[in-house]
Amino acid sequence: MSRHAEAAALDARILAAIEGRALDDAGFDALARDLFVHQVRYNPVYAKYAATFGFDERTLPPDWRAIPALPTVAFKEATVAAFDVTNAALRFETSGTTAAESGKHYFETPALYDAALLAGFDRAMLADGAALRYLLLVPRRNTSSLGYMMRKVSAERGDGRTGWFLVDDALELDRFLDAIRAAYDARVPVCVAGTAFAFVALVAALGSRGIALRARPGSRIMETGGFKGRTQSVERGVLYATLSQRLGISTERIVAEYGMTELSSQYYDDLTFGASTGPNAERFKAGPPWMRPLVVGADGREVPVGEIGALRHVDLANRASAVAIATEDLAVRALDGRFVLLGRDAEARLRGCSLDSEDLIAPTRQA
Amino acid sequence: MKAALRSSALVRAVTDAAGRWADADFPPRVRITGAIASRTGYSTPVVEYALDRLFVPLDAATLESVLAEELGGLEALEGFVPRAGGIRARAYPVGRVAIVSSETTIGVALAPAVFALCAGCSVLVKDREDALIGAFFATLAEEYPELRAVARAEHWTGGDASPSDQALRFADAVVAFGRDATLAEIRGLLRPGARFVGYGHRATIGYLARGSLDDEASARRAARGAARDLVLYDGEGCMSLHALFVERGATIDAERFAATLIEEVETAAVEFPIVRIDPRISPYLAGVAFRSALGAGGPRVFRTSGGDATLVVDPPHRHAPPFLPRVLPIYTVEGPSECEEYVRSHGLPLEAFGTGDVDDAMRALGAALGAVRIARFGELQAPSPSLPHGGRARVSDFVRWVASD
Repeated sequence: MSRHAEAAALDARILAAIEGRALDDAGFDALARDLFVHQVRYNPVYAKYAATFGFDERTLPPDWRAIPALPTVAFKEATVAAFDVTNAALRFETSGTTAAESGKHYFETPALYDAALLAGFDRAMLADGAALRYLLLVPRRNTSSLGYMMRKVSAERGDGRTGWFLVDDALELDRFLDAIRAAYDARVPVCVAGTAFAFVALVAALGSRGIALRARPGSRIMETGGFKGRTQSVERGVLYATLSQRLGISTERIVAEYGMTELSSQYYDDLTFGASTGPNAERFKAGPPWMRPLVVGADGREVPVGEIGALRHVDLANRASAVAIATEDLAVRALDGRFVLLGRDAEARLRGCSLDSEDLIAPTRQA
Repeated sequence: MKAALRSSALVRAVTDAAGRWADADFPPRVRITGAIASRTGYSTPVVEYALDRLFVPLDAATLESVLAEELGGLEALEGFVPRAGGIRARAYPVGRVAIVSSETTIGVALAPAVFALCAGCSVLVKDREDALIGAFFATLAEEYPELRAVARAEHWTGGDASPSDQALRFADAVVAFGRDATLAEIRGLLRPGARFVGYGHRATIGYLARGSLDDEASARRAARGAARDLVLYDGEGCMSLHALFVERGATIDAERFAATLIEEVETAAVEFPIVRIDPRISPYLAGVAFRSALGAGGPRVFRTSGGDATLVVDPPHRHAPPFLPRVLPIYTVEGPSECEEYVRSHGLPLEAFGTGDVDDAMRALGAALGAVRIARFGELQAPSPSLPHGGRARVSDFVRWVASD
């Protein structure tokens, strides 16, 4: 079978999984390992990495958990692709201080990415099937995976009057105010989607002008970009409470998304799980059936439920790059494939007086 | 400050109290040890070591030598004394001193508190939840009841300084430990004219010249010391070893040295065990493995049998040290200029510089790199309290000189 035919066959199976056809443990495992075979066959960078673990297309990992997880630095230092990237349909870049430091994720076709992002958004944000107006405080540039995602969502699910209010990382407050008031007057519920940084700027600007807005029932907020470190819950709680107050949207309608440029799929807060709905409550992240997290300890093995580890992801929609990704984010493993995201520096700065990476390196936003 | 509190009596009170705390069986110390271990996650031997380092060296001879060196003698605190230039001068206490402990360290407030008290200042320490300084002050008050009013410690839950904090707003001098951003915030609270002594987070590097790696014995000695500097405080102190530079072309090359060092780390870890291995090591090692897979001559990894310490030989110079517990990058270099370039390019603010043999060349290199302490491996984290910390004198910030013709 040619590479193209093999890729097309895998894409069809992955699309079927995304579209909701059965994907039990055995199905997930089989598809993940078939993807691994495809990737070590056609992705030389990943093949070299997998070989250091003793795996190749004939010697397979025993199960999906054992698939070597490629570190995110690989996307900065090499071309991670199972196809000729000169033919890439999409290319997203991680943010970095310089162009040389930004990672690149190439996609052979938009089909899997589009299907995964829409199905994931529908499950987490649009379970009620609401038709919303999208007011976006996210980067609009073509190389931003977040910008692409929200462009796609708003085009496919919006009311045709999407607004973008972040220009060169600067908030265009007056235009945003006009838009959200217009939606209210038109009796249209809104989805305000933005990065945590943009929301902080928004509530500060609204606060300085003493503005409290109103939104129609059914309106919601999607926050992404996360919070760093151990003050997470306090900062998030404060931001969500202030956002709720300033936009007139209850905290129960604020959902945090967790995505990465190196992935094709996204996690969202599962507000139906545990005590997740108070402003300071722990929020459990859940992924779609075609993506599974692994929370691993220093030895690379999955930690018990309730313990902290580093996050890995096995994302079946990453067909054209690497199916398993190792991140620097920490999380607490929860039941049933859920986790509580702690962020990159949760372990840092709890002890000692030495520098740490945060002192030296400006944190990069995964957009 | 009452005139009755003479400097000599203050020194005696401090050293008597420190002497009691130097005893590992002193009941308050026993209670605090567990609290510190719970707070920090360090093993009990590490906490015991830290407490020994805090209290054992605080003897009268040490304190008096610092006062003599910086002020000319205790007499300068009690009256006008002759000074250079034919004048007479007296060192008055600067006044109210507030000390903000770092939330991440063990007893860092103790040394400035002690020297501020010896200078005759009233001292308020914002203490950690384990209340180490408060407990020491209680012992101090037993030794010298008048000190109860001037040596106070308040529990502080950490985080940034509160704008409503009156102690900071009205202090005559403030000593603070923490991140640069926290220090800047605290500094912004002070009234004009107040003295501010900030101790930010710092790093420590080591350097091994060819001469230190001429033979097995020299290499073993350096490795034994470096191992201790790596495992103490799990490598998280400002004087813990965060990166090591090894000159190429020595009899013992970097890989052989790393093999010796990992053996010594195994031994040192018996004395100072780790409680929990940081999960951030997993993605870090994945990155190292990726770079090794991609190119010949990529980084080589040495790990202890329990996986509690990791050495990485020749990671890319373009990356800053990982600053992960008990993870040490070892860079091979032709000479000091490569080390200087590394420190400069990453903007590493250095506290200490460790080496195998301290000689003039190493002192010059350490000073050029910006370090304020240069020591042999194994002694990096055992500075005498008589030595400057962070490049600053110990007492001078707490006195106000009044000169008379």
